[in-house]
Formats: sequence, C-alpha cells, structure tokens
Amino acid sequence: MSLADPELTADAIEELYARGVTDGLPVVPPTRERVDRAVAAAGRDAAELVALVPPNYGRATVEKIAVNAVMAGCRPDYIPVVIAAVEAVCDDAFDLHGVSATTNAPAPLVVVNGPLRGTLEVNCGAGVFGPGWRANATIGRALRLVCVNVGGAIPGVVSMSTLAHPGRYTYCIGEHEEASPWESLAVEHGFARGHSTVAVLAADAPLGVYDQRSRVPEDLLATIAASMAVIEHHKMTHWGDTLLVFSPEHAAIVGDAGWTKADVRRWLWERLRRPVRELLPGKDGGDGLPEHVLRKFKDPAHDDTPVPKFRAPENIKILVAGGTAGRFSAIVPGWTFSKGSALVFRQIRTR
Amino acid sequence: MSEYLDPTDSVAVPRKTAPRPSSLDGKTVTLLDISKAKGDHLLDRIEELLRERARPKAIVRKRKPTFARPAPDELRREIVGATDVLIEALAD
Repeated sequence: MSLADPELTADAIEELYARGVTDGLPVVPPTRERVDRAVAAAGRDAAELVALVPPNYGRATVEKIAVNAVMAGCRPDYIPVVIAAVEAVCDDAFDLHGVSATTNAPAPLVVVNGPLRGTLEVNCGAGVFGPGWRANATIGRALRLVCVNVGGAIPGVVSMSTLAHPGRYTYCIGEHEEASPWESLAVEHGFARGHSTVAVLAADAPLGVYDQRSRVPEDLLATIAASMAVIEHHKMTHWGDTLLVFSPEHAAIVGDAGWTKADVRRWLWERLRRPVRELLPGKDGGDGLPEHVLRKFKDPAHDDTPVPKFRAPENIKILVAGGTAGRFSAIVPGWTFSKGSALVFRQIRTR
Repeated sequence: MSEYLDPTDSVAVPRKTAPRPSSLDGKTVTLLDISKAKGDHLLDRIEELLRERARPKAIVRKRKPTFARPAPDELRREIVGATDVLIEALAD
C-alpha cells in the first residue's frame, strides 16, 4: 500500500483512530520507514529501555517513543526532546501515576531551555501557549500519546480527570531566554547555559494576568499575587511547584528595578500568607484548612498565625515567555500537593 | 497492526481482580484509608457495619501517606501478607 495515495492515507487515519491509539485528532501513520528515521535521529538503540511508564508501567523503548512521536507529527530531530520528556515524567518525583489517574486536571507541561530551543524552533515568543509551531504542537502531543498508549492513561477508563484541559492535547513551550532579565529556569536549577533541557510540570491550564498600568515591581506583583491566591481555591494552602510565566514587558518592570528571581519569590510568598481565621472550612466557602492542620490551633476562629499559600518561596518557579509586546503574564498552577508531584528536569541528549 | 508499528506496549497485560470471598466470617479484613478528607469517617462506619453484620476474625486499619501516590511497597507487602479482604476508601 502506498501512503502517497490520499485515499489510503485517510483509511490509515481511520484505522488508527478505530484502534483507540490517538487523541481524537488524525495521526501520522507510523510506518516502519518513518519510525526508523525517528530512531536514527535519536542516535540510540531502538530496543533501549528509556522508562517504565506509570500507571501500567509499560515499556517505553526508544522505538515505542518514536512510534508515538511519528504519530504525533514530530520531525525526527524532535525525538531527543520527546525522550527526555518521557524520562522526566517517569521520574518518581513527578508521580505520573497520580497525574495520569487523578480526578483533578493536570497535564504535563514541557518547558524547553537551551540551544535546542532555537535549533528546533520551539516557540517561546508571541502566542507561546498557542498553535502554529510544529515543535510545540507535536512534542507535547507525543508525550501525551506515550502516556496513553504505553502508560495506559486512557481517558475515562484509567485517567479519571473530571474536567481535564486542552493542554492534554499538547502542552509545550520554550523559554524566551533572550528577553529575560534573569538566568533561565534551567540555569537557575543547575544546568549549564550550553545545555538543552526539558522541565516538566504537572500543570493546570495557564491563567492569564492582565496588568497594563503597573510600573514598579510592588504594584505588578500585588496584581499577580491576587491571581495566584486563587490557585485550586482561595483557601488552598501549602501548595507546591507552580510556574509564573512573565511576559517580557512584565519581566522588564521587575528586572529593571534590580529585583532578582529570589526577591520576587520571597515577596510573593510573604504576600500570599493568610491568617488561620480566614482559612476555615465553612467560612467563605465549604473548603478550607484540613482537619489535621486545624487541630494544631486551639481557637482557629480567632488565630492570626499566617499560613502560606506555597510551602516555600522556591515553589514559585519563574520564567519568561511570550511576545515582546503586551503587559500580560500567566500563572501555570502545578498539581503539587505535599508529597505529590514536583517540577522535574532532564538534559536533552543528542548524539 | 500489520502495516504500522504498534504504539502500545503489547507486553503489558490487563490485571485481574482477586476472587471475591463468599463470606467475611473468620476473615481478616483490612480497611485502607488513602488519606483523602473524611476517608476515615467512611471507614469508621464500614467497620461498625462489619462488626454488626459479619464475624470477621480481625479488622485491621491501614493508611497511605498520601492519596496522590500509589501505596508504598512496604505497605502493600504488609497488607498482602496479612489479610483476606481489602476495602479501600476514596471519600472527599
């Protein structure tokens, strides 16, 4: 059968959809030839085991990853990025079992840093979370297909998210390193500037923050903090890793004033504390501090002890992305309960 | 898939559930709290009902450290080696 024949290609797309191995969109038929090209680009043995993918602990070999990446529409040179992302989500610290099975809505967000971001044209500028760039569209999609086809995270069967979000089709961005006043997310976490990396976060959909009028860090961060305060719900506390994506214009307000990332984190962390008495379940909403926390206070209804939204300032992860015009930022909440998932990095290996 | 390579891991086999016991009498029953809010309320009531309606040999209470992750291997081994029946509470 020749895949050059449009009618037969359409049949192949229908057949693959019928086999339940797609995300509902048409996939590129994974022929031996295409998969071999992808494996060759990985520069690794086809049978090499990259990871066991929870929750079914299916074997993600280089070839299995390549098959899914071909289906997702990846160019062969994207494969090392997809492999690094699979390694990262299968790190125990990411808790892919929980991420794939929870009734909550997380999807792995892939952040690409380093020289490969430019080489592979991973979009980090205008419309960074949106469509239009093959690398962003297909790297995130390939990771999703691996989670489902190898990991077994079949929606509605094993993956029981009540709502999910569109990032489960694809969720991949680059950091706009050139427009940042700070070191990149990867360099900040110990990688060399010349290294290319992925960072994965079990993430909710991005929440946009609009602020056209702030001109000093304190004003802008007050706006951002108020939006971060409602992550999960307004009384959720002790939250973990969450991305704060500054647009270049917003980053400049803070960076030009000489504030470091650590300054920003500390300011937000302190601002995002609330007294126990404002966090009671049944007051301004049924949810609130859990019983085991409330038990620590004699009279919670009158207790002023500050409780932090985030466990530590370091849980607020900062990067710069998006177009150079526009005073918008975005918060990408993690699915990061205590003892749950965390941001995980992997260096992208090319040979 | 004949013409295309298989994107799934065909080695992974679906797991079967254990056979159901016909009676709880004389059995050791473990109640596993996964640490979700109010899971313990549900299991307290189940324990009451079990004691009322059946004659289990023992009722054992266990708790996962977090609902966000699978039970640690050590906890699984403790349960598997020492119980006939496991009841897990989700709650919320």
